[in-house]
Amino acid sequence: MPISNNVFVRSGVVLLLVGFLALAGIVGTTIWLVEQTQVYFNQVIEARDARTTAVDLRTALQDAETGQRGYILTQEEGYLEPYTRAVGLVEQNFEQLQNVLVPYPQAVEPLQTLRADIDTKLTEMAATIDMVRSGDVEGAVAVVQTDRGKEAMDRSRTFFDALIRAADNRLTAGAEDQRNAATALRWTNIAGAFVIFVVVGAFAWTVVSYTRELAKARQEVELANASLEQRVRERTVDLGRANEEIQRFAYIVTHDLRAPLVNIMGFTSELETSVGELSTYMRDHEDPDPAFAAARTAATEDLPEAITFIRAATRKMDALINAILKISREGRRQLKPEPVNLAELAEASAAAIHHQVADKGGRVEVDIAVPRVISDRLSLEQILGNLLDNAVKYQQPERPLTVRITTRQLPGGRVELAVEDNGRGIAGTDHERVFELFRRSGAQSQPGEGIGLAHVRTMVRSLGGDITLRSELGQGTTFIITLPRDLRSYLETVTK
Amino acid sequence: MSYDAKPVTIVMIEDDEGHARLIEKNIRRAGVNNEIVPFTDGTSALNYLMGADGSGEVSRGRQLLVLLDLNLPDMTGVDILEKVKGNEHTRLTPVVVLTTTDDQREIQRCYDLGANVYITKPVDYDGFANAIRQLGLFFSVIQIPETE
Repeated sequence: MPISNNVFVRSGVVLLLVGFLALAGIVGTTIWLVEQTQVYFNQVIEARDARTTAVDLRTALQDAETGQRGYILTQEEGYLEPYTRAVGLVEQNFEQLQNVLVPYPQAVEPLQTLRADIDTKLTEMAATIDMVRSGDVEGAVAVVQTDRGKEAMDRSRTFFDALIRAADNRLTAGAEDQRNAATALRWTNIAGAFVIFVVVGAFAWTVVSYTRELAKARQEVELANASLEQRVRERTVDLGRANEEIQRFAYIVTHDLRAPLVNIMGFTSELETSVGELSTYMRDHEDPDPAFAAARTAATEDLPEAITFIRAATRKMDALINAILKISREGRRQLKPEPVNLAELAEASAAAIHHQVADKGGRVEVDIAVPRVISDRLSLEQILGNLLDNAVKYQQPERPLTVRITTRQLPGGRVELAVEDNGRGIAGTDHERVFELFRRSGAQSQPGEGIGLAHVRTMVRSLGGDITLRSELGQGTTFIITLPRDLRSYLETVTK
Repeated sequence: MSYDAKPVTIVMIEDDEGHARLIEKNIRRAGVNNEIVPFTDGTSALNYLMGADGSGEVSRGRQLLVLLDLNLPDMTGVDILEKVKGNEHTRLTPVVVLTTTDDQREIQRCYDLGANVYITKPVDYDGFANAIRQLGLFFSVIQIPETE
């Protein structure tokens, strides 16, 4: 399935979004679970504190009881020692227990009961010890036998057991919660990582296949390009060959046309000489023969007139043949690419017509911005010379002639050469016609055969360029020539 | 070089009979009365100049001047020019090349091969006649060396 640019971008965005969401999920869950762990941990610590305190308190009470009983039995102060140590701890531990159980309102009542029991027990123990010390051992044993202290102690033990069991349960539950949280964290991470791997994989696949398709497309384009170039080259060679053939044909035809023309003109000249002698003779003679008058008219008027027309026609034909010869020879000429300074060339061409222009108050401006090209100097001289001659020939008589020669750099290694005049201009219908052989435009007030611009166009084209014109009748004309900056590269493509 | 000049024979090699006639007329009009031997093709002209064996031996001692058209039916005038100027017996014979072509390269080639004068046949008949007349004058003034 080909991946279009659009699809590629869209799927890329979707995949990135999915990957981002998965990552955000992992991060969010992790933070939440860590928070939870913290809470469980705190609860565990509290439970452990409660348990420790409860155990401590119970131990202290038991120690106190042990000391009391030992003393009652032996009446030796030495046995009283655990009692004295434990009594201090009882108060301390109770306070601690109270603090630990502050967050649990349900513990308030049992605590009060415990307080009362502890007080009862402590009072009982203090009373029995005092009695023993004053010698009343029987009294003390009797107090113990009332079981009030034992009952208080048993209730306390029950409370402690319950508290310790509760704390143990809490510890177990906390550990369980912790484990669950860790498991959840692991699974979340695994799931998120899986999604990210899938997304990255899919994206990588998309990129790879898209790149492969791009490479393939580029290869196809290159292939098409190469075959196109090949085709263009073949066509160019064909065209060049056809062009060469036409030029050779024109050359041979015109060359062969000249031979009979030499005869026509030569013998016309002979004829003219003979007719001249004949008419001189006839003019000076008189003859009554009626046929003589007709013969004299023929010799003195008809024949010379006919010869005049024949001569005019052959002269015209000669000019045409010469023009075709000139152009076909131009096409056959070997071009010689060399560095040409356009500024110098334009100045030289301008200098050549300076006399004709300055006589009538006109001027030629040369403004060359791109001075250096590599081209055929002779062709360029002839092109510019022809255009400047035309500017002089077809100037508007009532205003001084101004000619501007300018150049401009064009993209693609080309140069534009413009020759602008303020002459009589060329009508719009003739803009293409003036470049054709033997065609002229406007009033036929100047001598010419209509070959100048045709010749110019042939030369410009053989330099790999083209010529166009911009003109408004009565305002002036601008001839615009575009040329390759380097004739060599053009010749290479033509002859390849 | 001998001063007891024998009359120079003009060898005219021109396939177009009209041109040949015009050239002859003008040579005569210019007052040149030398014998003109016309040829309309290259083979027979070479035969005359070089002899049947092509050695040029036949031209020893002749005083010749060749008027040569470059466009011939069987060969180009350049071939004839090459042979004439390459042969020891005929190489001093003046050759005047006459043609309708004014191709600079062809003109240069003819001069390189030893042509003495190159005249393009202008269709402007007056100019042509003038050129021929001057040629006649040229013939009558110069001493053409006897071929060896």
